[in-house]
Amino acid sequence: MNNVIERKLALSHMSVAFTAFILACFLGEYQVFERSGLIESLGSPTVYFASVSTHGVLMAYVLTTFFIMGFGYYTAATSLETPVWKPELAWTGFGLSLFGVLLAALPLLSGKASVLYTFYPPVQAHHFFYLGATLLIVGSWVWCAIMVVMFYQWKKANPEQPVPLAMFATTANALLWLWTSAGVALEAVFLLIPWSLGWTDTVDPGLARTLFAWTLHPIVYFWLIPAYTAYYVFVPKQAGSYLFSDEVARAAIIVLVVFSLPIGFHHLYMDPEQAKGWKILHGIGTFIVTLPTFVTGFTVIASLEIAGRLRGGKGMFGWIGSLPWNNTMVLAVILSLLMLIFGGFGGIVNASYAMNAMVHNTAWVPGHFHLIFAGTSVIMYFAIAYYLWPILSKKPLFSNNLALLQLWTWFIGMTILTTPWHVLGLLGQPRRISSVVYNNLLTLSWKPYELAMIAGGLIMLSSACLFVYLLYKTQFAKSEETYAAEVEYAEPLHAVKSLPEYLNDFKLWNKVIAIYMAVSFGIPILQFFFLDTFDSSAWSY
Amino acid sequence: MHIDPLESKWIQTALGICGLFVGLILIDAFFHNIHTPSNVETIDSASLHLSEEFAEDNLGVHRDENGNIIVRMVAGRYSFFPKEISVPAETKLTFRWVSIDVLHGVHIPMTNMSTMVVPGFVAELETTFPKPGDYPVLCNEYCGLGHDHMWSKINVVERDQWHATQQPSSGAIDNE
Amino acid sequence: MKRIVALLLAIVPALAVAEPSSNIAWTPELLEFVGNGDAENGQQLAQTCAGCHGDKGVSPMEGYPSLAGQLATYTYKQLRDYADGKRSHMLMNSIAQGLSEKDSADIAAWFATLPPAKGQRSKEPLKKAEVLVTRGNGKKIIPSCFVCHGSNGQGEKQDIPALSGQQPGYFINTLNEYKTGVRHNDIYSRMRLIAQQLSEEDIKQLAQYYYQMRR
Repeated sequence: MNNVIERKLALSHMSVAFTAFILACFLGEYQVFERSGLIESLGSPTVYFASVSTHGVLMAYVLTTFFIMGFGYYTAATSLETPVWKPELAWTGFGLSLFGVLLAALPLLSGKASVLYTFYPPVQAHHFFYLGATLLIVGSWVWCAIMVVMFYQWKKANPEQPVPLAMFATTANALLWLWTSAGVALEAVFLLIPWSLGWTDTVDPGLARTLFAWTLHPIVYFWLIPAYTAYYVFVPKQAGSYLFSDEVARAAIIVLVVFSLPIGFHHLYMDPEQAKGWKILHGIGTFIVTLPTFVTGFTVIASLEIAGRLRGGKGMFGWIGSLPWNNTMVLAVILSLLMLIFGGFGGIVNASYAMNAMVHNTAWVPGHFHLIFAGTSVIMYFAIAYYLWPILSKKPLFSNNLALLQLWTWFIGMTILTTPWHVLGLLGQPRRISSVVYNNLLTLSWKPYELAMIAGGLIMLSSACLFVYLLYKTQFAKSEETYAAEVEYAEPLHAVKSLPEYLNDFKLWNKVIAIYMAVSFGIPILQFFFLDTFDSSAWSY
Repeated sequence: MHIDPLESKWIQTALGICGLFVGLILIDAFFHNIHTPSNVETIDSASLHLSEEFAEDNLGVHRDENGNIIVRMVAGRYSFFPKEISVPAETKLTFRWVSIDVLHGVHIPMTNMSTMVVPGFVAELETTFPKPGDYPVLCNEYCGLGHDHMWSKINVVERDQWHATQQPSSGAIDNE
Repeated sequence: MKRIVALLLAIVPALAVAEPSSNIAWTPELLEFVGNGDAENGQQLAQTCAGCHGDKGVSPMEGYPSLAGQLATYTYKQLRDYADGKRSHMLMNSIAQGLSEKDSADIAAWFATLPPAKGQRSKEPLKKAEVLVTRGNGKKIIPSCFVCHGSNGQGEKQDIPALSGQQPGYFINTLNEYKTGVRHNDIYSRMRLIAQQLSEEDIKQLAQYYYQMRR
């Protein structure tokens, strides 16, 4: 199969994703510099908060959404061995999302949307920002629809057959995103856009925060599922082994989708507008959603162990040394799992209902989510790019050794960046400050950690530049040599002969989600229509 | 469907770990009454200074008729009002926070005095400061370009000392 | 005479502790009411203001504020505060009492439409002011002025006054009055707490800094 259209779709989407990524990396490094106060002339809250808002939007919305769409189209076409359904529709979605990004970029870069990627009404941004962000999401819904259609078309054509795991995970992510993004879409369409256009005078901050919390947690699983997909469908093969269990992988993905959705209130633990009963309910769900991660870790490590032993590794830990460490996918998964362990530990602290008070909105939190997102997830995006780019562009990877160096430096930089970040949080430093102006003894102890963060950031920035350089050199290589490899999906250790329908379909799970969401969010949202609430007028910042 | 026995043991272990954490949290919540600020009490943030409770001369530390200490604080860009307060250590304090404008957050580092201050709502929480000392009160939610500067001070003093300094003026403090 | 009035007024807040510093609350309804002010009617009503505030809202006199380009919400609040006795001025109290709420909104709307004053540059050193405006002073807990008053001194929602082009004499008086508490119609003492931290030199430089600022 030649997949010309799919290759073009994947390359276009991923190019947008990684362009956003490299821009955002420069902004990130500027931010650690600015906040440290090392170079006094850099000190400007105006530039800093415009930068933080842009960094957040580029990383959390643009890099992720475009990468996931591009990866999804290619995964669907290759795992189902069928062309993408209605490619012209896919391009429409791409165009809508890209237009949305450009529209939002105008106010972001001119400092007219310094409301962070989490919006924070009643501070009000220029309406282009909200419209742009909404269009980006609407464009991504086109991708979701195409994935779901392809999933069911394949099932219809192949009754009783297990849907290939790669497509199963991708469709799960599309459904997760449809459910997840509904919250922020409701907030944007019914609250923020009419308000920023002056059609309404006020906004209800409590309702806006509740709707955003609907999106805010599962969105991180939307970012994470491609990484898990690579764990399951690429890593075992690249390591020279088999997937330990196909069925349990499906179950893990289903639990991830079902339980990640109704737990957003752990972002509102410290908020006065939701009652403690709802917070506890969401808190319990938050712990249940750690299960699929525990299971994924086991399955991936078990698959790696088989690989190590097949390659002659002996003894309790001997298999680790005999893994193919010079394979980018294998190296990335090891580093990714390490960061997941540390990031997950921090996450359990955040998730722990009352203990959260000690770290809420401190520097601990960005430390945590950088480890999970920029660490665990994005390092797998790198590995996927290194794996797919040569296949997509039909040119060999410019340098495998440099790619390995890039992964190592990303990991090292991330460690140096996030360890002090966590410590700063424990020392009480709030997140989202552009400088330390408090005249207090406590704040003196923050200084050395801020300086360490600059070093971590610099290593990561260099690593990011190297990553983009490698893709660029691969894409624009003059070599005549054509790289002819195809994508290879891992085979399960035990072939899947028959699957219960609930592990091969989402109809049942959509119903479960609908009920669970209604229970978790029904009253907390409806309360704003029964309570005697006082809405806020718009404020600048 | 195939599940390896080892994998099924691991799933049970993971379930056990989750159960342990959830259990500890629930015990803390329901037996030690350790909760988050969640009183769902609405208020008109635009006219707080005209309200009775958050009138300008009613802010700060007060003792109600039952001897409970209530601290009423207003968050507004870019400060907490009153700017400096004094409270007793090892004493249960009830904080009531409101915002006059946008979203704020307030945290006293090294303590669990932490809450979001959402316009339209009163954030109430109870806490006890074990150690006397001067603590900063920091805004920890982005509220605008002056966010860095939004902080004030709280002075936690020995319980006896605090009561001694409060006695003479207690009449003025109590007449609400 | 002026000193005596000032002295008398300084005692007033101490006597009236239980009173709020202003009766104005920026509810959505009031914001809409002021936003709907009729500038044309305001222009008619504002003719009597010209003597002190200039016929285009640019004050010809040091001690009187320019009102051109001022936020309507700010002008409205000051007029109502004068009428309610929350802010004191020999002339303004009685003038404001003669204006209805609608009149006040109309006048405020008219002044908001006028192009702001443009002050003359001076060669005086303004380093202190520049630092205060752009960086504030962490040691004294003074936020940067621009975070509330805007990066071009244009003022911000809901009622933070525009300062660019303002008469320096009036500017200095105002900060001194906040500093001493003579002026006390800023809710929760927001501006008083800042003004108390400013030195005489700070205030002088700030006055010139904002006078020559253009938006």
